[in-house]
Amino acid sequence: MFAKHVTNDISSYCHGELSAEEARLFNEHLMACVKCRTQFEQIKLGVKLAEQLPRIQAPEKLWQELEGKLQRIPSRRSSITNVYFHSWQIRAAAAAILIVTSGFGLWLVFNGQPSVNGTAFWQVQTLGGTPRIGSAGVRNKGQLAVGQWLETDADSRAQINVASIGQVEIDANTRVRLLQTQPTEHRLELARGKMSARIWAPPRLFFVDTPSAVAADLGCAYTLEVDDAGASLLRVTAGWVALELKDRESMVPSGAACQTRPGVGPGTPYFEDASPEFRQALTTIDFGGNPSDNAAIDALLKNTRPRDTLTLWHLLERVNIEERVKVYDKIATFVPPPEGVTQDGILKLDSVMLEKWRDELEPTWWSTNPVIPKKVAEAYWRAKNGIARRVSKLK
Amino acid sequence: MAEQLISGRLIDACQQGDRDAFRVLFETYKDRVYSIAVYSSGGDTTFADDVTQQIFLKLFTAIKQFRGDSEFTTWLYRLVVNACMDERRRRRRLVPFAEVLAMKHPSEKRPQEKQYGKTEVAEAVRAAIVQLKPKFRLPILLKYIEGLSYEEIARVMGCSKGTVASRLNRGHGQLAKRLSHLRAHVVGEE
Repeated sequence: MFAKHVTNDISSYCHGELSAEEARLFNEHLMACVKCRTQFEQIKLGVKLAEQLPRIQAPEKLWQELEGKLQRIPSRRSSITNVYFHSWQIRAAAAAILIVTSGFGLWLVFNGQPSVNGTAFWQVQTLGGTPRIGSAGVRNKGQLAVGQWLETDADSRAQINVASIGQVEIDANTRVRLLQTQPTEHRLELARGKMSARIWAPPRLFFVDTPSAVAADLGCAYTLEVDDAGASLLRVTAGWVALELKDRESMVPSGAACQTRPGVGPGTPYFEDASPEFRQALTTIDFGGNPSDNAAIDALLKNTRPRDTLTLWHLLERVNIEERVKVYDKIATFVPPPEGVTQDGILKLDSVMLEKWRDELEPTWWSTNPVIPKKVAEAYWRAKNGIARRVSKLK
Repeated sequence: MAEQLISGRLIDACQQGDRDAFRVLFETYKDRVYSIAVYSSGGDTTFADDVTQQIFLKLFTAIKQFRGDSEFTTWLYRLVVNACMDERRRRRRLVPFAEVLAMKHPSEKRPQEKQYGKTEVAEAVRAAIVQLKPKFRLPILLKYIEGLSYEEIARVMGCSKGTVASRLNRGHGQLAKRLSHLRAHVVGEE
């Protein structure tokens, strides 16, 4: 299975230079090979950086200077006959070339590369009723192009093929828009309603923008709902999903859920089998206006089980120092900090220590539902240094 | 695929010495040629001005040799790549390349000290690109400035498609290494 690594093909994959079969094999290998996946993250960053490279406008004076030099070159004709510009149609064509060229230049500057895999749309299959793409009804199959909205009413549902990396089912009364589809990034906007995604691509290729957070797929299955107020609820059924908004990030594993609110961003992830008291206290902490609410934190800690350390580990960054001490003590009763991790370091939100402790805690999160191999999850954490950076920003 | 920007008829007109047609050709490609020249020179616009003019002068005098058995863009970019490398070789004897870089980025702050907006990211990428070795930089320029396919880049550079893929891979890797502090600004942007 690991006989042929795919590191040499990463740029080709990102630029859509592989055949469909080669891309499928590439994806399969990447899912299973930590080494290639780590390298993929690195090369993908290089691709994203190179896409920022602007085209530079040549100075206006260049033509004048060049024209002067051209005058000194004897023309092959006795006089300039302008054979190309005899008809107004051809002049118009020339003008069009200039307009298209300058327009394309601007497009490149502001939007980066044009679509590189040749797939600027996703296939849509009707699952019931008549969903709409733009203003057109989709009776059986349709195509959702970049920028287009797909909308279902109370009686309709649809399924979208996310390029070659997964499928999304769109529930009734849902409105989604395709924002981007490239080998390095596929992005959907969920304005309202509910969708279920199953993605079999490497981490961080598929994103869903909601009014209050961005869901980044890490190789998983999940449902995401957005209500009319823009609040959302993420429920993960396999793998991991990251919910992000600016510097706030929640890592949600299989069996866990996380709410988001406009103006706040992602709340704290929690396992769905947590007690009602625990969940009630967490809602108060996340969205009650005071993340360090003493009474709510006490209620939460009182109802914490070992696997709820998922929630507590996230809370360490979000509560004040007094409450952080209590959260630290509670986690330590279940899983003591490993060697090299000190209370002082955790209270100061040392990113390395936080990660080390998380590694120790993680097995307790899988105790009843070990859906994803730990090494896959670890590979993600290694590849992604966002948490560390963001924690250090919060210091 | 590089977009088709000009017609065979325009090239015919240029081959017959029609300077208005040549002006159209110049306007169509000037920014692309100039961009490659700027990045190849480490941001030296005087160099880029000179090289761009040389390329178009050469194009004007040599276009009748273009036989149409290759893509015009391939032919043009081969001229561009060769001209940039020749000129850079010539100038390296006069001004060390590193000095040019130092002149262009004298007060660059350390990465962790800066807050990056879109423009700053583009500037950082621009600075990192010019520090790549030419064999890694050119495929990146042809890919991202010109939008050429691997096949087209291979034809321009006179190497195999596999070599292009390999050099792009290494170029991307080096860019990522140099600019890893910009990860949050370009990957999974919100």
